[in-house]
Amino acid sequence: MTKEENNGAAEELQIQSKKALKKQQKEAEKAAKKADKQAKLAAEQQTTSEEDFAKDRYGQPAMVQSQQKPDRVLVRIQDLTPEKADQLVWVRARIHTSRAKGKQCFLVLRHQQFNVQALVAVGDRASKQMVKFAANINKESIVDVEGVVRKVDQKIESCTQQDVELHIEKIFVISLAEPRLPLQLEDAVRPDGAGDEEGRATVNQDTRLDNRVIDLRTTTSQAVFRLQSGICHLFRDTLIKKGFVEIQTPKIISAASEGGANVFTVSYFKTSAYLAQSPQLYKQMCICADFEKVFCIGPVFRAEDSNTHRHLTEFVGLDIEMAFNYHYHEVVDQIADTMVQIFKGLRDNFTTEIETVNKQYPSEPFKFLEPTLRLEYKEGVAMLREAGIEMGDEEDLSTPNEKLLGRLVKEKYDTDFYILDKYPLAVRPFYTMPDPSNAKYSNSYDMFMRGEEILSGAQRIHDPDLLTERAIHHNIDLEKIKAYIDSFRYGAPPHAGGGIGLERVTMLYLGLHNVRQTSMFPRDPKRLTP
Amino acid sequence: SKPLAGTADLDTLLGKNYGALRDIVINANPSHPPLSLLVLHCLLRKRFHVLSTVHVHSSVSNVPPHLLACFEEQDKNQSRHDFQLGFTLIWKDVPTPQMKFSIQNMCPIEGEGNIARFLFALLGQQQDPITATLVDSWIDMAIFQLGQGSSKEKVAVLRTINAALGRSPWLVGANRSLADIVTCCVVLQAAGPVAIPANVQKWMKSCENLPEFNGVYKLLQ
Repeated sequence: MTKEENNGAAEELQIQSKKALKKQQKEAEKAAKKADKQAKLAAEQQTTSEEDFAKDRYGQPAMVQSQQKPDRVLVRIQDLTPEKADQLVWVRARIHTSRAKGKQCFLVLRHQQFNVQALVAVGDRASKQMVKFAANINKESIVDVEGVVRKVDQKIESCTQQDVELHIEKIFVISLAEPRLPLQLEDAVRPDGAGDEEGRATVNQDTRLDNRVIDLRTTTSQAVFRLQSGICHLFRDTLIKKGFVEIQTPKIISAASEGGANVFTVSYFKTSAYLAQSPQLYKQMCICADFEKVFCIGPVFRAEDSNTHRHLTEFVGLDIEMAFNYHYHEVVDQIADTMVQIFKGLRDNFTTEIETVNKQYPSEPFKFLEPTLRLEYKEGVAMLREAGIEMGDEEDLSTPNEKLLGRLVKEKYDTDFYILDKYPLAVRPFYTMPDPSNAKYSNSYDMFMRGEEILSGAQRIHDPDLLTERAIHHNIDLEKIKAYIDSFRYGAPPHAGGGIGLERVTMLYLGLHNVRQTSMFPRDPKRLTP
Repeated sequence: SKPLAGTADLDTLLGKNYGALRDIVINANPSHPPLSLLVLHCLLRKRFHVLSTVHVHSSVSNVPPHLLACFEEQDKNQSRHDFQLGFTLIWKDVPTPQMKFSIQNMCPIEGEGNIARFLFALLGQQQDPITATLVDSWIDMAIFQLGQGSSKEKVAVLRTINAALGRSPWLVGANRSLADIVTCCVVLQAAGPVAIPANVQKWMKSCENLPEFNGVYKLLQ
């Protein structure tokens, strides 16, 4: 019995001592590791403090507060071409991506829609610490970089500057970005559908719009808005060459210009005012004031509570009004030619931008005819009837019919842009001039891009009596439009005009699907920020 | 407005009228203007009230001005629905002339010869099967062997034409037919360095004297 007990106790002791031994061993190991680490750390610190020969070549300098004016030329990334090979240049760019690999760090530097590969490698120009510093700069930070442009043997497919890379000798952070971005730029430029296949993320519209500043940095957004600026420029340029005068009109107005609905009311001291739905009234007043040909680029407001792919509550309107001699087609031809000049200008001068957008949102190139195809409403209705659509002669085009007609016209004439002339009088506003040969029709027209309406225009009634008659026919309170009618009493030339939406034209030219993609800071019934 | 002469014929030939202009669209490459279609356009104008327009498609640029002004001036005061037929010529980057008419019922028609046959049929001339087949075969020979063939083939075709014209003043029968129109236009365009035999030269003079050939010279500048 005791023997057994003794045995048992001895066994216990043995087990205990075994455990203790293991414990001790482990502790010893730990201590050794710790000592090792400390030694390493100390060694590293030593190297950082003692051996960093390149510490003047990188870092985060003081905030640019305009202390100095260095004689330094910052070369744009798009200009980094093989012609610049072996030159030492300064570049300011964002860190698009960085990838460290041992003694090297690859960076993609981006400026607007252009990017270039850059390389920091441990050598006689860069230290280990410098490479580490470069690798740790947060994405989207802005850096000033000095480096040598080197030709590469193999094209760098992922960059716009494919034939060269930049060997960095100095790198300074001008503005440090926060480490976490609300959305990744690569995710935001991924074509629809490509994300699903590879299991990668895409960014939805609302996230993009919530973080618009970052989304606007993507190559696609950069291209879209550069092209949009081009549209404005071409519009101005063409019209000024045609002898037009640019006018500025008030946006705070006392009465709604096109019917009472759909206007924003603003409080105006002790009374209320409205935000202009179109510069219509003022354009016409300028015509009566002998300006002959006017145009106006400015914001237009629509209080329509519609949440569709093509409606905004505030957009940029490009408006034209022109006095003509005998026939309103003089004006139609001028407007159509202006559009054709814009399309030609974009086709010839914005190839890069169009290609960039197409990479993310593929679409067929925009086709058009010169002179522009002009069909009559009757012909449009006939084409639709031939395709099996039942509709009345004086019925307005519904949105689906509008799109179908666009497809039919494209099939027959192979054009994405056409004019539909001679709309039924009943579906147009009261100031539309009736057709002299058939009172059911009017001297009005719409213009379409890819089957969607972009411009609505007409010859306006310049005769106060006929204008009054038509207003009564439309049950409009004459008191409210008295000032408008009175402006035609003292000699008014015959005139016509029209207005287009800048965002819609950009969207339809590029074949995009949502007008918010072509509005920098879109406003719709549900969005007021950013 | 009262119905114009010929509208009833168009209804029998082309079927239901949807109450609007019947527009014939022809796409043609400015580097190779389809001369015969212009001649036929002229003939159509004699019979119908035709609205003729010229456009340039965005696929081509720098179309020479004489190609833009290939139709005579028209009465600008009429609106589109006053016309019976539309003839819309679009200068476009196409490999061969193409016609689009009724997109719901017809596929696009390719080739100058085929379009010429269609346009000629609108003039409503009745032909017996033998004449019609002869005309067709001259057109094929002109378009494919003379228009696209080697210089050896061209010489051979010109010899055949020369022989036929030795027997009668026109290629088929006693009067000018579609065969003469198409063949003459192809010779004008394609003969180039190849020498033109005597009978053919004489026949071409007679073709060129026809009023419907007036428009062709504008295109040949």
